[in-house]
Amino acid sequence: MATTGVRGTVRKIDSIVQKSTTTRINSVSPSRMFLEYHRRLIYVCLALHSSNNFAMGPYTITYFGVRGRCGAMRIMMADQGQEWKEIVVDFADWMKGDLKATCVFGQLPKLEDGGFALYQSNAILRHLGRNHDAYGKDGKEAALIDMMCDGVEDLRLKYVKMIYQEYDTGKDVYIKDLPNHLDKFEAVMAKNKTGFLVGDKPSFADYSLFEVLLNHLVLCSSCLDTFPSLKSFVEKMSARPKIKTFLDSEAYKKLPINGNGKQ
Amino acid sequence: MYLNRISMVCALTGRAEVIRVMLKDQGAEFDEKVITMEMWKESTLKASCLFGQLPIFEDGDLTLYQTNAIRRHLARKLGLYGKDQREAALIDMMDEAIQDLLNKYIKLMFEKDDSGKEGYLKALPTDLKPFEKTLSGDKGSFLVGDKISLADYALVILLIHHQVLSPPCLHAFPSLQSYLKRLCARPNLHAYFHSDDFKNRPIIPGKRT
Repeated sequence: MATTGVRGTVRKIDSIVQKSTTTRINSVSPSRMFLEYHRRLIYVCLALHSSNNFAMGPYTITYFGVRGRCGAMRIMMADQGQEWKEIVVDFADWMKGDLKATCVFGQLPKLEDGGFALYQSNAILRHLGRNHDAYGKDGKEAALIDMMCDGVEDLRLKYVKMIYQEYDTGKDVYIKDLPNHLDKFEAVMAKNKTGFLVGDKPSFADYSLFEVLLNHLVLCSSCLDTFPSLKSFVEKMSARPKIKTFLDSEAYKKLPINGNGKQ
Repeated sequence: MYLNRISMVCALTGRAEVIRVMLKDQGAEFDEKVITMEMWKESTLKASCLFGQLPIFEDGDLTLYQTNAIRRHLARKLGLYGKDQREAALIDMMDEAIQDLLNKYIKLMFEKDDSGKEGYLKALPTDLKPFEKTLSGDKGSFLVGDKISLADYALVILLIHHQVLSPPCLHAFPSLQSYLKRLCARPNLHAYFHSDDFKNRPIIPGKRT
């Protein structure tokens, strides 16, 4: 549960108002009436003054016309009920260098959150995690979520290396070795029992894992057959209404997974 | 700042150095158990690690793997993650880029021969330029904001490693040079970098630098 940011402030105010109403006696005090009637105004004022406030949105993603390193963040934003604008960069234009020169590390994706520009896909996932209460309920959960996301990133790097450098020669070996990597996530998922990697709601690590598993199912449709918790996780995430709508959309389906067309 | 007694199990130097440097600079006490490659191969420790890797980090009842997850956990506890959400996001962004370069460096170190070194050093200025640019702004003291963060510790170690790899690598980057000098002059870091503990630990065990 968020204790900081806009959501945290809102919860604190709700708790104050609730406490005041439960101790209601015959007459309603002026201060209590003020709180109840001006609740929304107070939220906004406190949010604007909160040093940890981040005014969210609108979101814009700038990236190539692939799922690639934007797959997880798009699924996350969709599930969180967020709308976003897509700026699709043609690779030939990218090679001209003008846009590249404006990017801090010369790379995409770029996320714009209102006037705030951010690069590096995992930094973007963490930022979205903070924005949308998807970074655990406390420091301990946050650490475990970081750990799982880093584990997913290691798998993603192996996948990307195979796809771009070793597809023809290395695909079969990769698929054969895959259970040795998936079993770790299976163990964590099975132990947690909530249907998520950490805690009882989806974190950015769950969206990242979900997306990487979707890509692996395209690579090898039977790869989760011996991992019941992961299989169930993919089914349940896919069935979440906003994710289902997104995965069924043209916007999702029309994009290839990877830039070289291999999958 | 009070911290639970932390214990760390890790191989020599390698990725764990960034954790050590952060803890040393902040004066946080921790226990450390060093595992050699021989011990690692002989024991059942690997099988007990979530991803079959070190370091393992214990903080009270929390056991963590993955170096960067450990670093982020410590950064939250020690107040090294920026003053607000915007700074936290920028610190993450800087740190991810530093990790990209660190991964390239480690890959080079584990290559069988020196054939990749020339290409690596040729690309290095392009890799270092964004950090030079960030640090040469008006508020150039640290990568993000006006306080040291987890990204700064990673960059300091990265720069030290690269000076060993190629001493002239920072000649074209005055802001990086002065940044490195300033951070290494922090009392605890100065003491640590001059200690036998640091000097005797190879950057990557058994590998050339």
